[in-house]
Amino acid sequence: MKTAQEIRAGNVVMHGKDPMIVLRTEYNRGGRNAATVRLKLRGLLSNTGTEVVFRADDKVDQISLDHKDCTYSYFADPMYVFMDAEYNQYEVESGNMGDALNYLEEGMPVEVVFYEGKAISVELPTSLEREIIWTEPAVKGDTSGKVLKPAKLKTGFEVAVPIFVAQGDRIEIDTRTGEYRRRV
Amino acid sequence: MPRWDVHCRVIDNHGDLGVSLRLARELARRGHRVRLLCDRAADLAWMSPGETPGLSLAGFDGGEEVPDVVVEAFGCSLAPGRIRRIAEAGRAGRRVCWVNLEYLSAESYVERSHGLPSPVHGGQAQGIRRWFFFPGFTPATGGLLRESGLLAAREGFDRAAWLAGAGVSWRGERVVSLFCYEPPALAELLGALQAEPTLLLVAAGRGARALRALAGIPEAAIAARRGSLQMHFLPHGDQDRFDRMLWCGDFNFVRGEDSLVRALWAGSGLAWQAYPQEDGAHAAKIEAFLDWLDAPPGLRRLHAAWNGLPGARFCWPDLEECARAVRAARSRALAQEDLVTRLERFVAENG
Repeated sequence: MKTAQEIRAGNVVMHGKDPMIVLRTEYNRGGRNAATVRLKLRGLLSNTGTEVVFRADDKVDQISLDHKDCTYSYFADPMYVFMDAEYNQYEVESGNMGDALNYLEEGMPVEVVFYEGKAISVELPTSLEREIIWTEPAVKGDTSGKVLKPAKLKTGFEVAVPIFVAQGDRIEIDTRTGEYRRRV
Repeated sequence: MPRWDVHCRVIDNHGDLGVSLRLARELARRGHRVRLLCDRAADLAWMSPGETPGLSLAGFDGGEEVPDVVVEAFGCSLAPGRIRRIAEAGRAGRRVCWVNLEYLSAESYVERSHGLPSPVHGGQAQGIRRWFFFPGFTPATGGLLRESGLLAAREGFDRAAWLAGAGVSWRGERVVSLFCYEPPALAELLGALQAEPTLLLVAAGRGARALRALAGIPEAAIAARRGSLQMHFLPHGDQDRFDRMLWCGDFNFVRGEDSLVRALWAGSGLAWQAYPQEDGAHAAKIEAFLDWLDAPPGLRRLHAAWNGLPGARFCWPDLEECARAVRAARSRALAQEDLVTRLERFVAENG
């Protein structure tokens, strides 16, 4: 079992008797340093969606699945195709890609997750580097990083970045929260 | 009517207990049979404004009786025996609605998380479904605690009479109340309050101790004067007395969640000191609240300084402007159902 805050998009957890893919996780700080985690789930067998919430330290029944290191190849609607080192290809349904779509780039390394021999989802590393393709002009002065502005990646995903970040900069993003970590 | 148990632990301050007591009292006033189960029941002796019919107190474990609704306040973690009895009741075919009452915030995640199920994985309670109930400031959340008749009592309040009855000398000057942790801008506040005749009502606790230490006021002193600032240190009082202290204020400094909501209902300008969290997570909560409040710039600057946010400078705001913002926000909140009404309906639908 893992704690709720350890669960990542792409993991598969048991919800009652149903195995469900975690499409999205949202970690939120409550009061007194407590936190909650909201999970968006989709049934592997039923294809139905649901959302649940846990305290961050609640135990969650994660199914141990097979993983394989792969890289992203291309999109063949409705499947995203990944390839391993032996050039074997695996297809993941677009509906199961979850937050991975926010960061998808050709050749990006992921772990493809298998349930009963079938590729069902991907897991991302906890942080990734991406280029900012659009943001408002950089403003010098505030170096605290606390004043933020919107910025976009190639995928269209929007990240809040400090105002000193410029278009063309590469940044490190925490894939668990979608938050800016640092300029690379 | 369902039977309710409200579980609460006292951690470092009494805010969790204050909310739990208020919730339990209002449920009982609406005809429910309620038990408040606290690990430090002795603290209720000074906090509770007398008995409420239908409300009783019990030890944190709850004993053998399993109610229809279990409210676990602020992740207090039920005793193992209680969890076992809930599980046994479930296996015997009884439906027990287990609600986790979460912390209040104006942040957007509250709407997304409110009312979601939380299945228990593992342990005695495996398979049981809890529910997360998030208080909040919008219709899509759990709402705010507001007891029936509160606003009428507020409108009918006689400030002069109450102050006189409390032994506080008041000559009509502006009144400010203080209930805080140890704010970094306390010295600046003291300076600002001396700028014109002011009566400062100081609630008992950490803030009072911080002020005494700063101003060199002995523990035994009930009152002290610094120029045109008169300070009056109030004793520990029950929740009703705390409300009336806020109702006296032309501006109220509050801390934690329960007193924030009470200051909102009081309808005067307010400054909220959020519970300080590691990594500065409380800054986002303050900003979200000020956005909901539609706070004027002066009030935002005061909040930044009062909460020790980076780069903030203390400045005294326009009190009337602040009061207008609070009253407008209060009107928006009053137009919504209160928390107990929403919780009753939630339990009826999910119990």
